[in-house]
Amino acid sequence: MKLAATMRGTVHQFGSVKEVLAKANPPKSGDDQAGISARSAVERVAARAVLAGLTLRELRENPVIPYEQDELTRLVEDSLDEAAYAAVKDLTVGQFREWLLETPTTGTRIRSVSPGLTPEMASAVCKLMSNLDLMVVGAKCEVVTRANNTLGLPGRLSSRIQPNHPADDVEGILLSTREGLSYGCGDAVIGVNPATDTPESTVQILRALDDLTRRNRIPTQHCVLSHVTVQMKALDLGCPMDLMFQSLSGSELGNRAFGISVALMDEAYDKMKEKGTSRGPNCMYFETGQGSALSSQAHHGADQLTLEARCYGFARRYRPFIVNTVVGFIGPEYLENGPQITRAALEDHSMGKLLGLPMGCDACFTYHADMSQDELESLKVLLGAAGCCYLMSLPVGDDIMLNYQSTSYHDIPSVRRLLGKRPAPEFDAWLQEVGVLDGEGPGERFGDPGVIR
Amino acid sequence: MSVTTTLIEVLRARLGAADPLPPAPALPTIEAPPARVFPSPRTRGRFAEEASTHTTALLGIGHVGTRYATDVVLQFQAELAVAHEAVEAVLPDDWAEAQKLLPLRSQVQDHHQFLLRPDLGRRLHPDSVQLLRQKAARPVDVQPILADGLSAVACMGSGLALLGSFTRECEARGWKVGTPICAKFARVWLEDEIGEEVGAKIAAILLGERPGLGTGDGLSAYLVFEPRVGKTDGDRNMMSNIHARGTPPEQAAKRLALLAGAMMAQRTSGVRLDLSALRAELGEAAGTGYRAPQRRERLVEIAP
Repeated sequence: MKLAATMRGTVHQFGSVKEVLAKANPPKSGDDQAGISARSAVERVAARAVLAGLTLRELRENPVIPYEQDELTRLVEDSLDEAAYAAVKDLTVGQFREWLLETPTTGTRIRSVSPGLTPEMASAVCKLMSNLDLMVVGAKCEVVTRANNTLGLPGRLSSRIQPNHPADDVEGILLSTREGLSYGCGDAVIGVNPATDTPESTVQILRALDDLTRRNRIPTQHCVLSHVTVQMKALDLGCPMDLMFQSLSGSELGNRAFGISVALMDEAYDKMKEKGTSRGPNCMYFETGQGSALSSQAHHGADQLTLEARCYGFARRYRPFIVNTVVGFIGPEYLENGPQITRAALEDHSMGKLLGLPMGCDACFTYHADMSQDELESLKVLLGAAGCCYLMSLPVGDDIMLNYQSTSYHDIPSVRRLLGKRPAPEFDAWLQEVGVLDGEGPGERFGDPGVIR
Repeated sequence: MSVTTTLIEVLRARLGAADPLPPAPALPTIEAPPARVFPSPRTRGRFAEEASTHTTALLGIGHVGTRYATDVVLQFQAELAVAHEAVEAVLPDDWAEAQKLLPLRSQVQDHHQFLLRPDLGRRLHPDSVQLLRQKAARPVDVQPILADGLSAVACMGSGLALLGSFTRECEARGWKVGTPICAKFARVWLEDEIGEEVGAKIAAILLGERPGLGTGDGLSAYLVFEPRVGKTDGDRNMMSNIHARGTPPEQAAKRLALLAGAMMAQRTSGVRLDLSALRAELGEAAGTGYRAPQRRERLVEIAP
C-alpha cells in the first residue's frame, strides 16, 4: 500500500489511511479544530492523489477505528454483503469515482453494489468529487421507501413539517402543522422536537397529531423526536407512533454520549416493528450531522466526513423510512460558512444515497455561522436538483424552540415548481382532492389552513 | 447541404425567422394587491389571530405566488439583522472595569477565533489567572460571572441587571458571594476554572446566548456545584431566554437562587439534582434546557 505522492518534486508521505482520508477532506473548521486537516492546499491534493490510488479492499482492511475498539466497525465488517463487495473490491477509489459517473452506471447498478460498500469507501470517493460530481451521483441513486406513503420516487420532493414549540403547546403545534399542510408540506413526516423529553409529552403530542391526520385522512407519518428510550416507553403506553426517531453518531463512544448502542437500537427496532402504527415496511427515522463525534471527543482522530458516513453504516441496519443530515445546526466550529455547509450537505446526501439510504437534508444555519439567507436558499435548489428525498419546513424557516434557520413552508412549493417536482404520490393525490394543489401548481385552497379540520 | 443543415433551416423557418418573441401586449393599470400579511392588528385574519395566542411562529402570513409578501420579507430581514448584529458585537476592552467588574479573558485571541475554537474559550488566559489570584475573594459560596458568550449585546444590556439581582438574592440567603467578574470571549465551561480558582461551592456564569431570529439580547445562566475543570454539561443546570420579552432578569435571579439553594442542600448539580419539590416555584427552570416563549415584535414598517 503506497501512502506517498510527489507534487512538483516534493514527496508527501502519510502515516496511515486514516491520515490520508483526513487530509484529503475539503476544508472543514471541525477538522481544523481536531488538528487533523491538511496543512496546505497542496498537501490536500497530494492526499487525494494517494487516496485515488488506494483500492476499496485496502479501505475495508483499514477502517478509521479498529475492529477491536468499536462496535460500529464490527457491525459494518460482519454484515457486509460479500458478493456485492467482490464486484468492486479491486477498483481504486479513483476508478470507483469514474465508474459511478459513467453513463452506463445506472441507479439500479449502484443499488447492486451498495450493500458491499463500507462507510470509509463512500467517504473516500466523495473526497475526489466536486459539488457537481456529488449531485450527479446523488441524482442517479435509487432509494425508495414506504410507510403510509412512498418516498424517494423520481421527480418527487418531499418535506418534513417541523412545528416545534418551546412549551410543547399542542394547539400551537397543530396550528403550525395546519399551515404547513396548506402549503403542500409534510409528506415525509410531521415531526416534532419536544421541549420536554418525557413519555407523557411524547404521548400527548403524538395523540394530537394522530387525531389530525386521521380526521383529515392525510397519507403521511407522524413522529416525536424524543430519545429512543422515551419513545419505547410511549409505545408501551399504547401510543400511536408511525416513525421512531433517534440521532446517531459515527463511533461507539459517540453513540454512548447519545445514550444508545447497537443492542439498544436493535431492541427499539424490534419493539417498533411490533407496535408501530404505520403501514410500513419502513418505520425508522434517523438524524445525523458532521461534527457530532468530535463534539463529544469521540472522533478517534478521524475526519468528520468519514465519521458521518459511519452513521449511515449504522442506520442502514434498520432499513429506515427517512434519514436526515442536519447540516448547519452544529455551528461554525464544525462547518464555518456557506461554502462548507453547502459542500457538507451535498456530500452527506450523496454518501447516504450510495450506502442505500433515503436521504433528506435539513439545509440550515445557526445565526453565528457565516452563511447568508441567499446562500441557504440556493442550497435548497441544489439539493432538490441532486434528488434529495426531502427537506424540512417551518414557518418562515424559523425554529422558535431550537433557534436556527431552516427551510420554510413557502420554500417547498417554490423549489418543487422550479424543478418540476411533485410531492409523494399518495400525498399529492390528497392535496389535489382538498384543493391545495391543482395539477402541478397551487390550487384554490393553497395557503389556506382552513382546509385542514 | 447536408441533411442536418437542411433540417436546421426548416426548423428555424418553422420557429419564425424574425424576433423569437412577439411584442408583449399592453396592460391596463395594475391594481395594488390586497394587504394580506405580516400580522398587524388591522389586517390579520382569524387564523393568524388564533395562532398568535398559542405560538410565536409566524403563521397566517399569506403568500404571493409561492413566496412571501414584501412586508414579511422586510420583517424577516430585520429579525435576521438583529441576530447578526448581536453575534458580531465585541465586548469593549474597558467595559468591565468601567462597571467595576474584575476583567478576565479566555485564551481566545479574537472574535473569529472565538467562534471557531470553543476549547480556547473554556480556559483562562494566564494573565487572567494571575489577576484572579491577586484580586478575587476566596473561598466563597457563590461565584457569579458575567460574560459575553455569543452576544456581547446581551451581556452589556440586561447582564448587569441580572448580575445585580442574582447577587442580592444570594446575599439575602446569607451566602458569601464572590468578587464580581466579567469574562470576555467566554464559553460556558470557563466557569469551571474560575470557580475552582476561588474555591467556590457554586459557580454561576451569566452569558449572552446564541441569538435567535429577532432576539439578540437573551442571556443564559449555567450553574455548577463544586466547579472543577473537567465537569461536563450533565453536571450543570441552566436557564435560557432571560430578557424583557422572555423571563425578566429579576424573576430569573429568584429562580437561579432557588436552584443554587437546592445544590447547596443536595451537594450536587445537573442530572443528579432532584428538583421535584421545587417544581412549582421554579416554573420552567425545573426542566433542562427549557426556553420560555417570548413575544414577537414588529421591527419594521413599510414607509407610507
